[in-house]
Amino acid sequence: MKAFLAAVIAAIALGVLAMFALTSNQKFAYQAFATSGARVSEPGTNLVGPRWNGDPKPDEYNGEPHGKAEGEASHPKRS
Amino acid sequence: MRRATTFLSTLLLAVMLLAVPGALSPAQAQNPIQADGQNPIQADGQNPMGARPTADSVNEEFLFKQESKIRGRVSIPDGKSANLIQPQGREYQNFRERWLPWIGALTILGMLAALGAFFLFRGRIMMEHSQESGKKILRFNAFERFTHWMTAVCFIILSLSGLNYIFGKRLLMPLIGPEAFGAIAQWAKYSHVYLAWPFMLGVAFMFVLWIRDNIPNKVDWAWIKAGGGFIGKGHPHAARFNAGQKGVFWMVAGFGAAMGVTGLMMLFPFALTDINGMQVMQVIHSVIGIIFIAGILAHIYIGTLGMEGAYDAMGSGKVDLAWARAHHDLWVEQEQARTASGPQLKGHPAPAE
Repeated sequence: MKAFLAAVIAAIALGVLAMFALTSNQKFAYQAFATSGARVSEPGTNLVGPRWNGDPKPDEYNGEPHGKAEGEASHPKRS
Repeated sequence: MRRATTFLSTLLLAVMLLAVPGALSPAQAQNPIQADGQNPIQADGQNPMGARPTADSVNEEFLFKQESKIRGRVSIPDGKSANLIQPQGREYQNFRERWLPWIGALTILGMLAALGAFFLFRGRIMMEHSQESGKKILRFNAFERFTHWMTAVCFIILSLSGLNYIFGKRLLMPLIGPEAFGAIAQWAKYSHVYLAWPFMLGVAFMFVLWIRDNIPNKVDWAWIKAGGGFIGKGHPHAARFNAGQKGVFWMVAGFGAAMGVTGLMMLFPFALTDINGMQVMQVIHSVIGIIFIAGILAHIYIGTLGMEGAYDAMGSGKVDLAWARAHHDLWVEQEQARTASGPQLKGHPAPAE
């Protein structure tokens, strides 16, 4: 009986261990198979501007830190 | 009268002039004849004149002549999503939905029916008492029993959760409803994926522990010819494991390895095989799994209900010496010679059945 109980406990323990091992490297499908997002402008800006009027001015962003991304700006693609 | 005849003749001519080209035009549209009398539809079915616009259009048959799959182009990193049609998937689905449930049901129910018939015909194989009855001999030590039960517990849960993949939506869902079935199936899937690991470890342990005593030899052939004791009188000789038990050992080792490899192929999709390979793995996994379950049912039967005294080997680890002498005489002699001082043999009375 002791061997049986030890076997059940060991099976559960190994199963839990396997669960953590397997899920530690898992990604959601939207992460695993997503594209890198298309960047259409410099970090911290968007196409419509902070006033959402579709006519952004470069100096408008100075007072609008919301959503300002950090890091270096990407190099514009030349085509 | 003459004017009427002239009118009718003119009307008939007009009708003929209108009707005849109209009647011939469908045939010309189907198979137009050029001015030089040549049929523009070529022998290969292509029609350069475009008289049948769909003749040149891309169709499924044409695409399958180019490649085994029909695929398009995608811009996302997962290029596999470009596959539109994979013909083997239809064969796999046909097997999975039509053949597999029948194979599973007939094999497992057939084994249960055979065991039931055997029990009715032969009854329980009772212990043959002798002067050695009541003395115990250690058959499996604690680690052997631990390994056996860890593998066995996992196998039972893997079997039930595996059968749920095949029969759950057909048998269980109509009984308990889709919500309860969904929850059970999800936990069954978790248990199948995670308990596969201790099962594989247990099979590996058993292989190392018992391979030394499971190498086939001449004694096994004599045991098989004697039908394990059913043919002729007396028990055939057997060492620690008889030919039937060796068969179970090699079945567990072989099927366990096959189930592990095919299961890992599905657990890590596209790691080593493509979608065709994984479908083949699933077919092998399911068919071997069903045969495995049927084989283990026979093993469970003979180890519990089928033979008195057999369960003690994996229960307490100690079996009645008279039972051991009857079924594994060569092993008893070997053990007694090895432990001549007698630490294996104790005079405890046999527990009541």
